[in-house]
Amino acid sequence: MTEPVISVRDLTVEFVTRRGTLRALDKVSFDVARGEVLGVVGESGAGKSVTGSAIIGLIDPPGRIAGGEIRLAGERIDNLPQERMRRIRGKRIGMIFQDPLTSLNPLYRVGEQLVETIRTHTDLDAAGARKRAIALLDEVGIPAPDRRIDGYPHEFSGGMRQRVVIALALCAEPDFIIADEPTTALDVSVQAQIIALIKRLCKERGTSVMLVTHDMGVIAETADRVAVMYAGRIAEIGPVRDVVKAPLHPYARGLMGAIPSIEGDAERLVQIPGAMPRLSNIPRGCAFNPRCGEVFERCRVERPELIDVEGRQVACHLYDREHQPARTGEIAA
Amino acid sequence: MTERPFVEVRDLRRVFDVSKPWLNRMLERQDKQFLKAVDGVSFDIRKGETFALVGESGSGKSTVARMVVGLLPPSGGAVSIDGISMTDRAVSQERQRLRRRIQMIFQDPYASLNPRWRVGRIIAEPIRAFDVIQGEQAITARVGELLTLVGLHPDDAKKFPHEFSGGQRQRIAIARALAADAEFIVCDEPTSALDVSVQAQILNLMRDLQERLGLTYLFISHNLAVVRHMATRIGVMYLGRLVEVSEGKRLFSDPRHPYTRMLLEAVPDLAMVGKPREGVKGEIPNPIDPPSGCTFHPRCPLVFDRCRVEAPAVIDGVACHAVNQGRAAA
Amino acid sequence: MTDTTGSATKPPSLWARFLDSDILASFLRSKVTMVAAFVVLLLFIGAAFSPWIAPTDPFDPASVFLSDANIPPAWQDGGDPRFLLGTDDQGRDLYSAILYGLRVSLIVGGLGVLLAATIGITLGLLAGYLGGRVDALIMRIADVQLTFPAILIALLIDGVVRGIFKGANREDTALYVLVISIGLSFWVQYARTIRGSTLVERNKDYVQAARLVGLPAPLIMLRHVLPNVIGPVLVILTINLALAVITEATLSFLGVGLPPTQPSLGTLISIGNRYLFSGDWWIVAFPGATLAILVLAVNLLGDWLRDALNPRLR
Repeated sequence: MTEPVISVRDLTVEFVTRRGTLRALDKVSFDVARGEVLGVVGESGAGKSVTGSAIIGLIDPPGRIAGGEIRLAGERIDNLPQERMRRIRGKRIGMIFQDPLTSLNPLYRVGEQLVETIRTHTDLDAAGARKRAIALLDEVGIPAPDRRIDGYPHEFSGGMRQRVVIALALCAEPDFIIADEPTTALDVSVQAQIIALIKRLCKERGTSVMLVTHDMGVIAETADRVAVMYAGRIAEIGPVRDVVKAPLHPYARGLMGAIPSIEGDAERLVQIPGAMPRLSNIPRGCAFNPRCGEVFERCRVERPELIDVEGRQVACHLYDREHQPARTGEIAA
Repeated sequence: MTERPFVEVRDLRRVFDVSKPWLNRMLERQDKQFLKAVDGVSFDIRKGETFALVGESGSGKSTVARMVVGLLPPSGGAVSIDGISMTDRAVSQERQRLRRRIQMIFQDPYASLNPRWRVGRIIAEPIRAFDVIQGEQAITARVGELLTLVGLHPDDAKKFPHEFSGGQRQRIAIARALAADAEFIVCDEPTSALDVSVQAQILNLMRDLQERLGLTYLFISHNLAVVRHMATRIGVMYLGRLVEVSEGKRLFSDPRHPYTRMLLEAVPDLAMVGKPREGVKGEIPNPIDPPSGCTFHPRCPLVFDRCRVEAPAVIDGVACHAVNQGRAAA
Repeated sequence: MTDTTGSATKPPSLWARFLDSDILASFLRSKVTMVAAFVVLLLFIGAAFSPWIAPTDPFDPASVFLSDANIPPAWQDGGDPRFLLGTDDQGRDLYSAILYGLRVSLIVGGLGVLLAATIGITLGLLAGYLGGRVDALIMRIADVQLTFPAILIALLIDGVVRGIFKGANREDTALYVLVISIGLSFWVQYARTIRGSTLVERNKDYVQAARLVGLPAPLIMLRHVLPNVIGPVLVILTINLALAVITEATLSFLGVGLPPTQPSLGTLISIGNRYLFSGDWWIVAFPGATLAILVLAVNLLGDWLRDALNPRLR
């Protein structure tokens, strides 16, 4: 099977405001293969959450998809009418959000919500749906699922609630799950359990996952490939081992060096000067050029496209062999 | 006289009344409920060092921070800084003078600066309140100096907080903490609301300032990697108690308490690409109704009968019966 | 320190910030709001400058003649070009009386609302910041307060005032009685709003930072908390102004308010009401219409202000 589950090409999302048009995503392209976990990292404002919203067709006005296309198993879904998109959401694309409390209705028993979701997306009867719900809760690691199914969300702990949300996302056996900061609201010890769960489910069910998070540690442990985003563009995308251990793009290099580790012995953290530009004020050429230590003339004028380097793709003129000899990335201190 | 630690915290306790309103209690026949947020915590901080408290939510680390700076009265125990008691009512005169030497940096840089005030006024507030410098011109000059010190521009004094990014606001908060020449700064999760590249800037800045000004930090964080980077010594908290105190790096190379080990095992880290990890059991119990004896016993792999009955005291830096009896493989 | 993230750009002036603000933009986008604002402005100008705008002084006995009583509006049969909107039962020019009445109504309503806001903000701030028993006490008083309608309070205060100042002329005390009644019946809403936002702000770290500096509680409330909780009060203030003017009119209509010698819009309506069935409709219709237009315009303005200041609706 070679066709990717999700294929995004030149996706551009704009927000029209009184002060002009802001480009939240600028020609973003990537694929997610079957059973693969794609990590999307970036700092706040990089556009990682917008990417997720665009794929499930939940961009609120004044935002709109201004260009490009999104394909789900080969079928275009970015231009579908609301009604058809709604059926795809939940059925073929599942969602897991940061705060499990907002995804669960506090007034309904966990089982009711699961059964309702199962029944809207499959033709199981009530008893069959309940059976399936219990099986799902068991699968996501909730002890005594046949009893806990009749509990209300507030009776579950934070980690257990997130497990319920994952079960909810799995109800219709989707091909693709978007997990937006699924572990951010959880404690470290619980975080590890949820990461392990997501990984296991991917492997067992062959579901693809787009894992959106700002936490590089989570990505490093969970993802197969990772996309590093900056100012609405992809700076580098490739196998997680390469990108984390030996990033090429100067921003990715800075980002990895900035993260304190529980191993390693950096006395001083690498620091990237300045801050991510506001959407209203993205520099010409490469968006990273004012903060980049290796900037040269071309970066200020021409926007770098993603080019294939050492088994991954990097949007940086440094690696364009025709104009500039490539340098391999050792972390610039 | 032997050298006395700069900050001494002794058997600090804090109980919160989390009962329902009186009428509800009467109708539902419930007793008052109390939450022991901090339960007998003791530690010392030496001058010029960074002492870190790590723990997950509900561990009581922020409550300790607020009691140490005097924002929250303790229910029991004592805090003294440079020999002056923060908790004894009798020495309020001295405490007033002490207050100037203690400041705090808060977690959320969006909430810690008054949105209606210009940055200059915010930073000048401690200067004016403690009467450090007199004269408007001198104060303006000092504010400019402080802004430069934290990597901002003196003209930024004229702007409002909302004109700055999160990292820049945290710099402003640091400038305010330094305004009255504080020596001891309590930092409550100072970077957890920031992006990683900005976090690196702030952590580096804090270390530079410590070196230059000889500051002493009490550093509160849930992020073990950040703590490892910043701390001279580290205290690990679990459900209101200190379970292990260790020299900075040693905690990571040689964790002793089972909880510390579990925590280190659980941290997602860059170094962990593709490595399998051991499963972590269970979640933090409800702090209103904590387990008996050692509060960690339901999740502990080394649990034995004594743990369920008797709360372990901190002996030689670890509060664990198994470790102290030599049952744990070191 | 090697890094300098600071910028040296000068902050824009207050006027430039106003021109660039979202509030102005949302104002210019809403036609209804602009019309409402124009009407309110017109009525305020009319009220403020009534002695100069009005053709006659309806309170000057020398210029009022009983022989001019009950003249219909100028465009009707029997109308008199001197009296554009006709005259009332005492021969006063209705147009002038409305301008003067508007002034009285707005003064009473405005002062009443300001008094209510002052009481409410003070008590709300105390309740929210100090909490505990002070909070419980103030909020219980507020609950009790809500069970008394404004008219009852007005009657009560009227009675008390008359009891204390036995010899006092009702014409001298009426205005104060009304202002105090409105103030006492409207403060609860302010107190509740301010208390709510104070509870939120009190726990924010900038207040904690101020406490660390050793600032006394009253200073923290005044300097830090108050400026951050005052926003919603502006909205209540506008909407309450309309309500206060109506309350004043109701009280005056019922006879507890301002006497006919010092007529507000409510008094004028009350006078006109007596002549409605004799066919002299204009005495009640024009003051009534003015009141309705004022209340509507002020309410529209208040609604817009609420939406414009609410960041979630922006």
